[in-house]
Amino acid sequence: MNKDCAKIRKNILEIAHMSGHGHIPTCFSIIEMLYALYNFMKHDPLNPAWNERDLFVLSKGHAALAHYAVLSHHGYFPIENVKRFGLCGSDFGCHADRHRVPGVEISTGSLGHGVNVALGMALAEKIKGRSTRVYTLIGDGESNEGTVWESMMVAADLGLPNYTVLYDNNMSHGRGLQIKNPAEKFEAFGASVHDIDGHNIDEITAALDTPNDRYKVIVCNTIKGYGSTLLTENHYAWHRRSPSDDELKEMIGELNARAV
Amino acid sequence: MRGQFKNTVMDLATKDDSIVMILGDVSVYLFRDYAERYPNRFYNMGICENTLIAVGAGLAARGLTPFVHTIAPFVTERSYEQIKLDMCYNRLGVNIVSCGASFDYAWDGATHHSYTDLGILRHLPNMEVLQPGSNKEVNELVRQCYNNGNPTYFRLSDNPHEIDVPVQFGKGVEVFAKNASLTVVTAGPILENVHKAVMDLDVNLLYFNTISPIDRELIEKYRNTTFLVIHDATGLWEAVNEIQGLSVYYHGYFREFMGCYGTVHDIRKELRLDVPSLRRVVIHFMKFSMVDKR
Repeated sequence: MNKDCAKIRKNILEIAHMSGHGHIPTCFSIIEMLYALYNFMKHDPLNPAWNERDLFVLSKGHAALAHYAVLSHHGYFPIENVKRFGLCGSDFGCHADRHRVPGVEISTGSLGHGVNVALGMALAEKIKGRSTRVYTLIGDGESNEGTVWESMMVAADLGLPNYTVLYDNNMSHGRGLQIKNPAEKFEAFGASVHDIDGHNIDEITAALDTPNDRYKVIVCNTIKGYGSTLLTENHYAWHRRSPSDDELKEMIGELNARAV
Repeated sequence: MRGQFKNTVMDLATKDDSIVMILGDVSVYLFRDYAERYPNRFYNMGICENTLIAVGAGLAARGLTPFVHTIAPFVTERSYEQIKLDMCYNRLGVNIVSCGASFDYAWDGATHHSYTDLGILRHLPNMEVLQPGSNKEVNELVRQCYNNGNPTYFRLSDNPHEIDVPVQFGKGVEVFAKNASLTVVTAGPILENVHKAVMDLDVNLLYFNTISPIDRELIEKYRNTTFLVIHDATGLWEAVNEIQGLSVYYHGYFREFMGCYGTVHDIRKELRLDVPSLRRVVIHFMKFSMVDKR
């Protein structure tokens, strides 16, 4: 595991441990995606409102802690600021508020919203004739929502090559309404599709960098809880849990051992 | 009113290149000259109301000024969470302009009627809720509010009233200030009937085309009278009752699927919102108000 990604995961664990909050498995499935994206897209942590920046919307808003940890890693704010995560008076809620957290473009939480707002942002950049790219990250469980597929149809109709959807295929949908062969489905909806290992930073970067003449969907095949055996073996039980002292120690030990 | 709305937007668009029209496959022919003149700022995005609102929010987040336009119940009741979160929670200045009002589509039945839109939207933080009743009000309220950065709902009707009242966002109008003990309060196109029904009666008449924020100052001025809210939708009665301690009665639409079909005038008759019925109702409440004063 990339050592930065291991460190980001350790920060998430420690914050979840301290605050008692956190959707840790769903955060852990997207760390490489966020890490690669923030290394790839144009942005300025010292000037989050930089006019030339690319835009990112975390549509699966319950992974906000992962987003905070990655933003912090890239220099938006010290990780210490996040340590009162989800507590009264903190700026860092379990779902992000764009008016309170630098680098958060849109407040999300209810699923199937951010993906459509990001679509509108991509359309705005097209109307203005700008080269800004707009990225959004959706979950596979989130994609049970009909609005996700509405946005795919509209994106295809508008022809928006500046619009990229990262699809976290971490098998959340497995216990409910299943979405089999997502790459085929997105292709049928008119996207340029990449079907990759969502924990491989090189593959993610290559998919982001591939030129496209229509909107792009990157199906990132991931493992819920990736980086911790405790989580991956029983991620349903860990959906909203935070680790005890012993569990934290075990998880951090595993991350230290896997980091390279 | 839709024609007036289109003319107003056409005029504004000549000076404001941030305006973007998003249609839900409604009024497409009406907007054909706008579409020809501004093809880059016109999108018939199809029948996906949730996405229309969210896309509007995305456009607003990037500094554009969207108008999202389609039929009232679909763009409000169906898309309530998008309005609440994408527009209001994110504080993004999307303009929703609906058509159909309460019963313009009387003949289509309850699926196309809209009587909760004003009532539910006025509950949302940051939301402005407007019910213009005439073409003049559409023109002036759109110009006053469309680019103020706030989420705004304009509820249009194809049956405007013909009464000329001053138009200022957030301000109610004293149509009749007769120093009477009963104050009739109304909003939107139904003013036409209410005005005819009460013009020679000893009642005050207040009219509101801004439902939220309601003009509290004007209502306070009449605090010592009995209020009778007459409306064909929810929302106005609740807005008046924001001011606590008033004596407020209500007459109009109340929690019922209207199944008589026909025209808006037929449904108004069913609801006793036609002129003769309204007159009888107001006279009845005038007696109440005198009792209250004792």
